[in-house]
Amino acid sequence: MAQAQVPVTVLTGYLGAGKTTLLNRILSEQHGKKYAVIVNEFGELGVDNDLVVNADEEVFEMNNGCICCTVRGDLIRIIEGLMKRKDKFDGILVETTGLADPGPVAQTFFTDDEVKARTRLDAIVTVVDAKHFFGQLGQGTEAEEQVAFADVILLNKTDLASEDELKKVEDRIRSINRYARVIRTQKSQVELDAILDKGAFDLKRILEFEPDFLHSGHSHDHEEEVRSVSITADRPVDPDRFQKWMGALLQLRGPDIFRSKGILAIDGAPRRYVYQGVHMMMDSDWGTPWKDGEKRTSKLVFIGRNLDVENLQRGLDDCLKS
Amino acid sequence: MKLDLANPAWLQTLPPGRSLGVDAPAAACAFSTDGSRVAFGLGDGRVRILPADIAAPETPAAEPLHGGAVLALVADPAGDGFVSGGDDGRLLRVAADGTASELVNQKGRWVEHLAAHRSGAIAASASKTAFVVKDGEVREFGPHPSTVAGIDFSKDGSRIACAHYGGVTVWSIGNVVLPPRRFAWRGSHVALKWSTDGKFIATGTQENDIHVWRMAQATDMRMQGYPAKVKSLSWTADARFLFTSAQPVFTAWPFAGKGPEGKPPLQFGDEGAGLMSVVAAHPSAEFVAGGYDSGELQLGDLKTRRSVVLRMSDGAAITCLAWSPDGWKLAVGTDAGALQVLDLKR
Repeated sequence: MAQAQVPVTVLTGYLGAGKTTLLNRILSEQHGKKYAVIVNEFGELGVDNDLVVNADEEVFEMNNGCICCTVRGDLIRIIEGLMKRKDKFDGILVETTGLADPGPVAQTFFTDDEVKARTRLDAIVTVVDAKHFFGQLGQGTEAEEQVAFADVILLNKTDLASEDELKKVEDRIRSINRYARVIRTQKSQVELDAILDKGAFDLKRILEFEPDFLHSGHSHDHEEEVRSVSITADRPVDPDRFQKWMGALLQLRGPDIFRSKGILAIDGAPRRYVYQGVHMMMDSDWGTPWKDGEKRTSKLVFIGRNLDVENLQRGLDDCLKS
Repeated sequence: MKLDLANPAWLQTLPPGRSLGVDAPAAACAFSTDGSRVAFGLGDGRVRILPADIAAPETPAAEPLHGGAVLALVADPAGDGFVSGGDDGRLLRVAADGTASELVNQKGRWVEHLAAHRSGAIAASASKTAFVVKDGEVREFGPHPSTVAGIDFSKDGSRIACAHYGGVTVWSIGNVVLPPRRFAWRGSHVALKWSTDGKFIATGTQENDIHVWRMAQATDMRMQGYPAKVKSLSWTADARFLFTSAQPVFTAWPFAGKGPEGKPPLQFGDEGAGLMSVVAAHPSAEFVAGGYDSGELQLGDLKTRRSVVLRMSDGAAITCLAWSPDGWKLAVGTDAGALQVLDLKR
């Protein structure tokens, strides 16, 4: 039976940022849709819903020699189990713990064939506590990485912070992840269509989703911090050389590269080549055709740690047709 | 009388049987220990019990027993009913008349895997814990490093094996408490079957491999080359072959003599449109049934390598298969809720 893939939204955010409030809102709102919810703390949700599933974040390393290929086996199992139910649902929401690395959750949707056949990762939504974000950044890498992975960021509890504080938090968020949409919220109140069904991992929507994508440039933060960089090229890309370079880059730097996306003008190809990845895992496809006379510019975006933009640009330049 | 796949009747007609459609996926099926009934565990929480005799009148459907979906079902080894596990966290003993009594309640967890032993013992898993129910007593084993993804009894019923991340744990379930034995192999193990002679434990892994431990020497072996995860494993009654799913034809590893190391698997049968999703070796003879994710059902004869088609593809994956204890009937369930009981006497 051909079944539509169920969209999966991942909700991350530091302890106390407002994830549970957001989940409760999604579940109690009258939207006529049915969501299965995978949570870590059973009973925290105020909504009585028999599609709430308790998960222990069971991360395992794939037995394939790739050190950052960690996935959530519990999600694979639960998604298979949910498909045995008679009741079908419109979407799955996965709440991670406050100290979780979003990497394994995202990678699960790149790795497992059955999960890929039945579901699609829709977007990673990160809730940020406007008042405590800077303090949380100092406590470890989690708060920073949750922002780095995000497609949508709810800057929450804005009522508890001054406009000046909010600007500073927003600037810091932008320096980490320039490509996520940031929405200011109080008590996690947000229009649901701003966070659900975004298609952020849909290769067909890479261009439309990122309004900032076409503006090149990079910030000058310290390299060891997590940040976003983009590089471009105006000459066509040689596919073999690109494959080699990207393969080696991800092999070496995969653990440091959280998200990557790109649109490539491949030498001799009438269509755009689009890809996106999480750490070392990647999806790619042919996108829309280039128009006649359109400037064929390749653009690559990386969000990660220790990113040397000059080095990345040199790597891309070496893949270009002379 | 014997099952003979050379009989031309197999080519002319599909075997007679009882078919019904239900409005929920079938997760598991089993014949009762006395062979008089067959039950299907369904995605709407129902346990649908039918007479095994395909000519007997159909028993009416009962109310759901589980709050969500039934995830596992086996014959009750201590009676003529069944035992079911559901995503409502309950393990139920279901009598032949469909009335249920609760054995375990683990709200918020799923009772996903079950095994039964002829001594009357039942093993169930819920999250990281295994439960053994015997003579009215429930004992817990665990916690394991991750959620248990497969459980089975040893041949003599003195031990259970649980699959999880990083390998398999074997517990003695007798009165003498022994430390658990751990058989390690990296990665996530997603299915488990103890060989019918008790000498081997086989698992399917997340990386589309099969892993087998030889109990006596604690040595292990890995079989690779599957295009998908092997979720269904079935040992022949004499333990000479291990049948595996996730191939387009019957695929069996030879364990007689020196074992399968360095040997190719035995493969035979017609290619299905998809891959086998469930395999079930015959309870006594050298036959095997294989259901496909594309809906076909095939019966194979290990000795003659003949095979016959029992069911055509309808696009809905076969999700469960069970042989009657006497080996003359086969129960089949699909994820579209097609339930069948086939009579193979021809």
